[in-house]
Amino acid sequence: MDGIELMAGAMHAAQARLDVSASNLANVSSNGFRRRVAHATLSARGLAVSTTTAPEQGPLERTGRAFDLSAIGGGFAVRGAHGSVGYERSASFTLDANRHLIDERGNLLLDARGGLLRGGAGATIDPLGVVRGDGEPLGRLRLSSGTRIASGFLERSNVDAIHEMVDVLSAQRAFETAEKTLSAVDETRAKNVNDVARVKG
Amino acid sequence: MNRALYAAATGMSAQQQTLDVVADNLANADVVGFKRATATFAALGADLGTIATGVRRTFEQGKLERSGGPFDVAVDGAGFFTVERDGQRAYTRAGSFARAADGTMQNAEGWRLEGVRIPAGANKIEVAADGSVRVEIAGGEQRDAGRIRLTNFAAPERLRSIGSAMFAATRECGAPVTLAAGRANGPKIAFGMLEHANVSIVEAMMAILAAQRAYEANAKGVQAADEMQRIANNLHRG
Repeated sequence: MDGIELMAGAMHAAQARLDVSASNLANVSSNGFRRRVAHATLSARGLAVSTTTAPEQGPLERTGRAFDLSAIGGGFAVRGAHGSVGYERSASFTLDANRHLIDERGNLLLDARGGLLRGGAGATIDPLGVVRGDGEPLGRLRLSSGTRIASGFLERSNVDAIHEMVDVLSAQRAFETAEKTLSAVDETRAKNVNDVARVKG
Repeated sequence: MNRALYAAATGMSAQQQTLDVVADNLANADVVGFKRATATFAALGADLGTIATGVRRTFEQGKLERSGGPFDVAVDGAGFFTVERDGQRAYTRAGSFARAADGTMQNAEGWRLEGVRIPAGANKIEVAADGSVRVEIAGGEQRDAGRIRLTNFAAPERLRSIGSAMFAATRECGAPVTLAAGRANGPKIAFGMLEHANVSIVEAMMAILAAQRAYEANAKGVQAADEMQRIANNLHRG
């Protein structure tokens, strides 16, 4: 691998870091969002960037609505618009016309047996996910193991705008550094080709 | 592809939308029966920015204040007044009504309160907590003038806004359910009171500041992505 390829790889890596930071910044107001983290690894084939999701919980904001749910340390099961089952960390559910619980992304809340949970006015949800309406159990949320439910809370995005701004800056500077180095390598080669090899006549 | 540029742009438009919604809340902070709204967002794909998932209204109770109007009513608890105009039905928490020439109770936009008709010559109106309306006509005679009925929905968040404090039923909000007012633990009609907007000016101002800063941060993201593009374009100097 030569200098130009290496530096081109470094420029790609800086661009990938900026992509991640810019998307994190864009999601500073998305409830339940967890920031993505870019990792660069150097190998014989140059720099490669992979991304993971930061695990730390975002701040919980009290809303007081029973069906604003946040999972602490796991997730609760929902059925997506195309029938696929997934787990969510935080969502705001309202009753739909069939008294099922639907969130703003169109996901339906599942009960422990895999059916759709039905809610009612004045329902409460305890930390273990048991839903009660007027004291009578209505069902139980399907939770991943070890999950506790905070009813009446939404998890805010865990993006720290200052941290992301610093990342944007540092990605930009890393890009510039790589570009300068690439240009220097290019100029050295230009000298090799045009000056060193010139036959004095 | 310059993904960062587009991701940061989605963030700018999200904050713009938040500002629009908060500005609307602030503009309606003095509108009787107004319910505040919040714009919600979710992540878009893998590192592609954010997408608006809708505007959600919060039907939290607003403060009740004595107004002294001759036919001002407020709902203390869940439910909406049912009103009607030109054959269209709507639901509202704004209870500022006045007697029209035909004896019905109407608000400023001409929406008629269903179930109540005030006879001519009535000089004193009294509304009980259960919504029943009694009037006193000349000579001190008491007369029944109907009853205010409250309506509620399984999902009031899915009602459609048709004015600052007026809502129409949709397919998603569930069928209208008539609520009996005045029972223990149930909603009550408060006579001579009006319900304020449930907007907190301080919270709205804080939301504006936060949205402004987040907008600026995303604008910087756009600038950085653009600057990197410029540098890349200058690589080839010929």
